[in-house]
Amino acid sequence: MDLSKLKKRPSHPFETIAVAVSFSPRCLHVLAEAKLLSETFKASLILIHIGEKTSEKEQHFDDLMNQVGMDDSHYRVIWMEGDTVETILKLCKLNMVDLLVLGALEKENVLKFYLGSIARNISRKAKCSVLLLTNPSEQLRKYKKIVVNGVENPKTIHTVSTAFYVAKHLKVKDVTIVNEMNVPGLAMAIADDSTAPEAKEIKKNLNEEMEESIHSIMEKCDTSGINVMNKSIKGKPGYAISKYAKDRKADLLVINSPDTHLNFLDRIFTHDIEYILAHLPCNLLIVHSRV
Amino acid sequence: MLKLVHSDIIVLLASIGGILILARIFAELGKKIKMPIVMGEILLGIILGPTVFGSLYPDLCNSIFPKVGAAKIAMDGITSLAVVMLLFVAGMEVQLQIMLKQGKTAVYTSFTSMIIPFALGFAAVWFLPGFFNFKADKLVYALFFGIAMAVSALPVITRILMDLNLFKTKVGMVIIAAAIFDDLTGWIMFSFVLSLMGQQGEITSIWFTIGMILGFGLFMLIIGRYVINKTLPWIQQKLSWPGGVLSISLGLCFLGAAFTEYIGLHAILGAFIVGIAFGDSVHLQEREREIIHQFVTNVFAPLFFVSIGFKVNFIENFDLPLVLLVFFLAVGCKVFGAALGGYMGGLTRRESLAVGFGLNARGAMEIILGTLALNVGLIDSKMFVALVVMALVTSMMSGPLMKRFID
Repeated sequence: MDLSKLKKRPSHPFETIAVAVSFSPRCLHVLAEAKLLSETFKASLILIHIGEKTSEKEQHFDDLMNQVGMDDSHYRVIWMEGDTVETILKLCKLNMVDLLVLGALEKENVLKFYLGSIARNISRKAKCSVLLLTNPSEQLRKYKKIVVNGVENPKTIHTVSTAFYVAKHLKVKDVTIVNEMNVPGLAMAIADDSTAPEAKEIKKNLNEEMEESIHSIMEKCDTSGINVMNKSIKGKPGYAISKYAKDRKADLLVINSPDTHLNFLDRIFTHDIEYILAHLPCNLLIVHSRV
Repeated sequence: MLKLVHSDIIVLLASIGGILILARIFAELGKKIKMPIVMGEILLGIILGPTVFGSLYPDLCNSIFPKVGAAKIAMDGITSLAVVMLLFVAGMEVQLQIMLKQGKTAVYTSFTSMIIPFALGFAAVWFLPGFFNFKADKLVYALFFGIAMAVSALPVITRILMDLNLFKTKVGMVIIAAAIFDDLTGWIMFSFVLSLMGQQGEITSIWFTIGMILGFGLFMLIIGRYVINKTLPWIQQKLSWPGGVLSISLGLCFLGAAFTEYIGLHAILGAFIVGIAFGDSVHLQEREREIIHQFVTNVFAPLFFVSIGFKVNFIENFDLPLVLLVFFLAVGCKVFGAALGGYMGGLTRRESLAVGFGLNARGAMEIILGTLALNVGLIDSKMFVALVVMALVTSMMSGPLMKRFID
């Protein structure tokens, strides 16, 4: 397979959706939601299980499919042995998966978080978009509010347009684009030599610049029928938007894929996506723009 | 026992009051001609101190700003508090994540903008000792001079980037990440050098010092940071606001400073590391951060920077060849080091030079470094004056020179 095609493949539409099957207690709900998503986005569905293929597991698998109401013409199953994270990532690449659906706990215990759980490790490394479902259900949930990160980054245009694509298909009317404001040294620089009006002006300019950048992104997206709101928030990138999504009771948070290869140090000195992965505020869609 | 008597209290309070008001007037006048606020404060110190007022009216100057006695000791205590708090707020702006986030360009720039000036500064003392007047061991002096060449000043740099509307650009973020790295490594290394004073190079003591610095740093940045982050919401909700956050933050700053002083490291290290741990909390609100900065920057910082002018006679100790050597060495090695890192990290030649001139601003951090070195007898007054001049000139030239390369 020509993997170079992946490079410029747009982040949407979602033509191929994959779901990792682990036979965990929540597996049935993850499968059900993945099936409904594949129907909504008219995407083909791939079920991936990493582990030995046994007759017992096959039987379990068939039972799950029956409960979900899927017949084998609607999906393809891939069984493979190997390192769970690496194998799933490899299979996603080989099968040109556009969206990988995984079940994830809202919060892992401290040890597991630092060592890295499977879902979170895949989220850090995936070369396709990843949807982490914190509370999967048999029925496709009613998504009402989507929060999108509008950080200044070349990837953001793809993330925002993917968020609108998802919003249209899931019939979401309320999308908020959030920009986080965090300038190291700003407080000290302002305290040093700014009058109150100057300090106010500096902050106002910062807000205006952010709003302008969001507007320029929105101009390139199809937002018809969606109520879009811009919001600038102060705080640490990642943590601030996670808190905002939680406070707003968002159903889905949409963010860019990480810019750098994340490792253990990024969890010790937590930043950006790691704050979100540390405590998922709601379902999380990490958009891999492949640019 | 030395005790503050009635007259000492009057002198102390009057001098603090006078300094605060005059410093504000000088700072505001300086702002009109785009002079850094710290320059106005130092200029006031030079006028009020032995350089101008003291040489014209020595008796009057001595009665208002005594050189000995209880009032002088009390004033020294206040300026020591000021420097500890200044390092605390400097630490609060250090965001270790910025470096991790910015990737290759920031990593290259951070390392080269630190290592090259440090190495060249060290080599200058080591191979050209005739230019320098050692008061301490040659190795300690060379280490100090290397650090003095390498340090940057994040607040000045942020301000310049803001004025040029560059802080959100790739170049701006690389400069900020590198300035944070230079600050962090510079202050840790400087506290190591200060702790070497008086150890006569005993290997066991040196390793003990390094172990203590690493131990304290790692403890505070991992466990201390975690505990502060977990308890800050409780402080914000259960204690009066913003008084609770202000008193707890400064309380931790002084405890950290006292601890590092107790274990043989300098107090500034404790304050700086506690500042990083405190400033990193996701729960610290922007308003609280601003209040802490306003309190320290506008009350204690002027007392400290004005007091610098009292320390030496700037005219008598102005050694032109030394001033020029320090200035050109500082500018050359910092601009070259930072620009090289930026270029290696993928920036264009012009962007790399903009990064070099951006990081060249030394500002208040260099002056604090020089003052502490003077206080412990590591450097003499001539070197101190040369460092102050270099810090002020590099801060003023940084913005215009960056602008030339960024258009």
